[in-house]
Amino acid sequence: MRELDAIGLEILSNALKSINDECFVALMKASYSTNIKERHDHSTAIMSANGELIAQADMSLPIHVASMSGLMRCLLEKYKSDIHEGDIFVANDPHTAGGTHLPDVNFAAPVFIDGELVGYVCNIAHHADIGGMAAGSMSGGMTEIYQEGLRIPVTRIARHDEINQEILDIFLLNARAPQERRGDYYAQIAAAKLGVRRLNELGRRYGAKLLREGFQQLLARSANRMALALKEVPDGVYQFEDFMDDDGVETTDVVLKVRIEAKAGKLTFDFTGTAPQTAGNINMTLNATQSAVIFAIKSLLDPEAPNTQAVIDCVDVIVPEGTVASAVFPASVAGRAHTCQRVIDVVMGALAPALPNLVPAAPNGANTMAVFSGIDPRSGQPYVYLETIGGGAGGRPTKPGKDGVQTGITNTSNLPVEAIENEYPLMVLEYGLAPNSGGKGKHPGGRGIRRIVKPIGHRCVFNGVGERFRNPPWGLAGGENGGRGRFAMLDQQSNEAPLPGKTGDRIIADGGAVLMDSPGAGGWGHPKN
Amino acid sequence: MTWTIGVDVGGTFTDFHARNEATGKEIVFKRPSTPHDPGEAILKGLEEMEQAHDLHLTEVERIAHGTTVATNALIQRKGAPIAAVATKGFKDLLEIGRQVRPHMYDLNLDKPAPLASETMRFEVAERLNWQGEVVTPLTDAEATKVAQEVVNSGAEAVAICFLFAYLNPTHERKLRDAILTLKPNMRISLASDVQPEFREYERFQTTAINAYLQPLLASYVEQLAKGLTNSVGSATLGINQSSGGLMSAERTAAFPVRTALSGPAAGAVGAAHIARDAERPFVITLDMGGTSADVALITDGDTEITFQRDVAGFPIRLAMVDIDTVGAGGGSIAWFERDGLLKVGPISAGAVPGPACYGQGGTEPTVTDANLVLGRLSEAGLLDGTLPLNRESAISAVQSIADRIGVSLEEASLGILAIAVSNMSRSVRRMSVERGHDPRDFTLMAFGGAGPLHARDVAAELGMSEVLVPPAPGIVCAQGLLVSDQKEDFVASVRLPLTEGAMSEAVKTISELTERAHSWFKAERLPEGGRSMQLSLDLRYVGQNFELIVPAASGPNLTSDDLPDAKTLVTLFFAAHDRAYGFHDKNAPVEIINFRMTARGRLYDPSMKLEYEQNARLPLPEKTRPVWFDNSEAIETPVYRREKLRPGVRFKGPAIIDQLDATTPIFPGDKVEVLAEGSILIQLNGE
Repeated sequence: MRELDAIGLEILSNALKSINDECFVALMKASYSTNIKERHDHSTAIMSANGELIAQADMSLPIHVASMSGLMRCLLEKYKSDIHEGDIFVANDPHTAGGTHLPDVNFAAPVFIDGELVGYVCNIAHHADIGGMAAGSMSGGMTEIYQEGLRIPVTRIARHDEINQEILDIFLLNARAPQERRGDYYAQIAAAKLGVRRLNELGRRYGAKLLREGFQQLLARSANRMALALKEVPDGVYQFEDFMDDDGVETTDVVLKVRIEAKAGKLTFDFTGTAPQTAGNINMTLNATQSAVIFAIKSLLDPEAPNTQAVIDCVDVIVPEGTVASAVFPASVAGRAHTCQRVIDVVMGALAPALPNLVPAAPNGANTMAVFSGIDPRSGQPYVYLETIGGGAGGRPTKPGKDGVQTGITNTSNLPVEAIENEYPLMVLEYGLAPNSGGKGKHPGGRGIRRIVKPIGHRCVFNGVGERFRNPPWGLAGGENGGRGRFAMLDQQSNEAPLPGKTGDRIIADGGAVLMDSPGAGGWGHPKN
Repeated sequence: MTWTIGVDVGGTFTDFHARNEATGKEIVFKRPSTPHDPGEAILKGLEEMEQAHDLHLTEVERIAHGTTVATNALIQRKGAPIAAVATKGFKDLLEIGRQVRPHMYDLNLDKPAPLASETMRFEVAERLNWQGEVVTPLTDAEATKVAQEVVNSGAEAVAICFLFAYLNPTHERKLRDAILTLKPNMRISLASDVQPEFREYERFQTTAINAYLQPLLASYVEQLAKGLTNSVGSATLGINQSSGGLMSAERTAAFPVRTALSGPAAGAVGAAHIARDAERPFVITLDMGGTSADVALITDGDTEITFQRDVAGFPIRLAMVDIDTVGAGGGSIAWFERDGLLKVGPISAGAVPGPACYGQGGTEPTVTDANLVLGRLSEAGLLDGTLPLNRESAISAVQSIADRIGVSLEEASLGILAIAVSNMSRSVRRMSVERGHDPRDFTLMAFGGAGPLHARDVAAELGMSEVLVPPAPGIVCAQGLLVSDQKEDFVASVRLPLTEGAMSEAVKTISELTERAHSWFKAERLPEGGRSMQLSLDLRYVGQNFELIVPAASGPNLTSDDLPDAKTLVTLFFAAHDRAYGFHDKNAPVEIINFRMTARGRLYDPSMKLEYEQNARLPLPEKTRPVWFDNSEAIETPVYRREKLRPGVRFKGPAIIDQLDATTPIFPGDKVEVLAEGSILIQLNGE
């Protein structure tokens, strides 16, 4: 085998990408749910024997990376040396198994070459339902983790390549639409097995020792690369704070606060002063906060850097336990994506004076989510339709922000209108850009998205989770704030009745409709310039 | 009147492949392209061919043309100003798309701006439901009002796409008629004509691209046809579609979006033809040029078709030859990433300044420079020495890489090639492994200027045992055009459960499709003996959002009687699901999403084979030169001229085979055989 120099490592890293991409596509194709197939809410990765992230599929989501690395940490703590060829592990719990919220179910399978453990293949997928008190397992109003669905600790679900059907049966009994869940679980298991086979083939070409060494060298290179990027941040102390609207239960204006200290390329992110964890489900675990910080750093300083453990570990992140940015048991966390988006916003806001030519104004800063459920009058079967809605992207130092697009931690697609109406007893009355929602500026902010949806021939349940309904996306360098988001119920005459940003379950009568505006984004630079 | 000519217009060269249908005589010709007006090179080239060869233009019966006019117009955004008209409430569909950004982390990278800017997007009060039934009728007054707005906008072409109009086109047609009443020569693309399939954004985008290209392509084919009438007389002109079949100039003017991948598709069709002649039905093609490599799959002698891909950042949903493009070509530059790893491509030195060894001012080390350093390419260069290569410049360029890593010049060169090969291997894996095929069951066919140089390494990396190099690797596209069928794809988006009970509805749809195919055969005046039809269904499990295309029936003249029963179709679907995803669920219900009918008219008679002489004699080599096959040492290697290797010749590597437009290194121990139709078959480590 070729030496592990600049050439050999590039070839190894290409081979690892191939494996991750193949598993990513296999999981996407074999799954049943729209969430994975169309929205690509899943990721795949390869880990070292010590649980360090070595490589991930190109289309992997930033938040999933934290989760997979969290699972590995808990897996190694729990099973230590009791890990064998043919094992597959599964987990989702944020408080005991490194997850970030329950619908994201993680799988990891060890890979052995001639009896020696060389690493793990991991995949994670967002299941459209994981049980709990509300369809979709994501809605507002939940106050403890138990309400959010089935908690899976790190669990060995396969031994000697044999799936433990009894464990899988427990999962399926605890979720809505079990047929679809079963398809998705099988797809994840198949993707894990495929990854094991491929990494094994590669490992046999390299030999266990060289492969392990290659992993470490890739990590070392990645660490150097990030160190180089971080040097671009001038020494200094940078601070920023921003407010989440509310937790959907009892607390409003939840503060997120960061103090960044940069000294000779070493960066510390201190979130002391951030609000205590809330009853409502906008809490996030520490590793989710870490992934949000990394997202901001990478997108500002080195967007092409491959994600590895060295990237995750490149900065120090200090978050006091028991805050919304490092919540502890029994915090509810299903809506953590909104908080993740806001962590990115405060990090960007803090770094704006340090990197004035790079930092854009605030994007829509939310992960606007809508769930419609009910009984389809055409078939008599229950349905659950989940959508996350993009919004404005912030005005940039070089050009305007993009309209109607996913930003930050997420990049999932919409469902085509014609697919929605084919599959669900719903009609989309409007799908376009929300008027006047882009903040004015020399480079205006992008506009949010408007969707109006009505049930056909039945009454349905709407459950929406939004953010930046009160605290607008901020402008930068003299640019104005972007438009806020809003939900409203429309009656037959199109009279509007406002709905809260975290609606809980609302019944929408036959003939009524729901209006959803996602937030726009802030403008950059003074509008008169 | 016996000549047929394939013309492929590339960025640098315009290639001609002419064949006399009576005598079987073939002529190959190449001339520089004329990018300002691609048609000029075609017309001039034809005249030059007449002067240089024993061919009279008055005897040309048919010209088949592969074009990059559409692709370039999209990349360079040089189409017409268009208006886009949508159902009320949906005018921003083109802007929002699937709401995703092209790069997860890069805050400055946006998808391309929509082809219709905000002021050019219009809405019409009308609505159909999911079954195509009218919910809000389109009134005459509304149609006239919007038509007036569209005409006033100054648009040169219009795209109209209404929700669910693929099920019921009456509203789209009504608006079209209203616009034509006001402006009879307006070019209008209806989504229900361009791509009548579900998923509104992709359909709208495809239709908008069609409108955007229409004025340009219409005038291009018109001019070309006029020019041909003057020089060639009555020859018919066929334009290659992205799906790998020809269409008439009139249809090209109506559906220019179908030519977005015209050029590469011709290559895949040419390759499929060569593969059939060489009796290799399962082939992966590697078409490597100066800046990129195209990889495609041929199974059972036919190119694989896909129904969606991005062109210039826009999704196009139409039948297209399934091709994966990777930024690996002869001009790909070797550079160090921020983490110190060596990368090759996708940045390319292009034709200007070109690789360092071209001596045109390029200093960056490229794949071609590495090949020259290793002796795999000759200093005499390509095109019979008209483009000599400078070895000193190549060495000094590659030396910078070698020094930084701390390896020898040859090690660095081998490394550059190995990385380019690993990029191409990833592409081959995407096309094969990720689609359920094992590359080891395939032959790798290498063409394009650089394909034969690297195919052996790609094959070895993937465990493949055979490499096939066509007789003229540089003009496979032109050859593909020569052998292409006239072809049309019809689709009906009708969603039905796949059960016996729904078959009567299916029969109705198929009757409509066959009728459309028959009127197309007639309109195109295709000879009856060469007509064929293929019926495929897009099937999926209820609740899935991915369809599998399952071929259901084929034959010279299909009728609805040829539709297999539901049980057989379900079995076919299970087999396809197994192949694609590795499993099937025999209890889950299956549904039909689309019916597809492909109609073909054969225009080409299969070629005759050259004389094959068992164990033909290996000629003496022209010379020898030192070649590095691995990092141990250079081997003094015999160099053969391709045209002197007769069918039936067999020998073992090491060797170099040089020809006008390609070089093929034969590695030590590999076994070579020249096949009856002239291709070279290389067996890796052959015994």
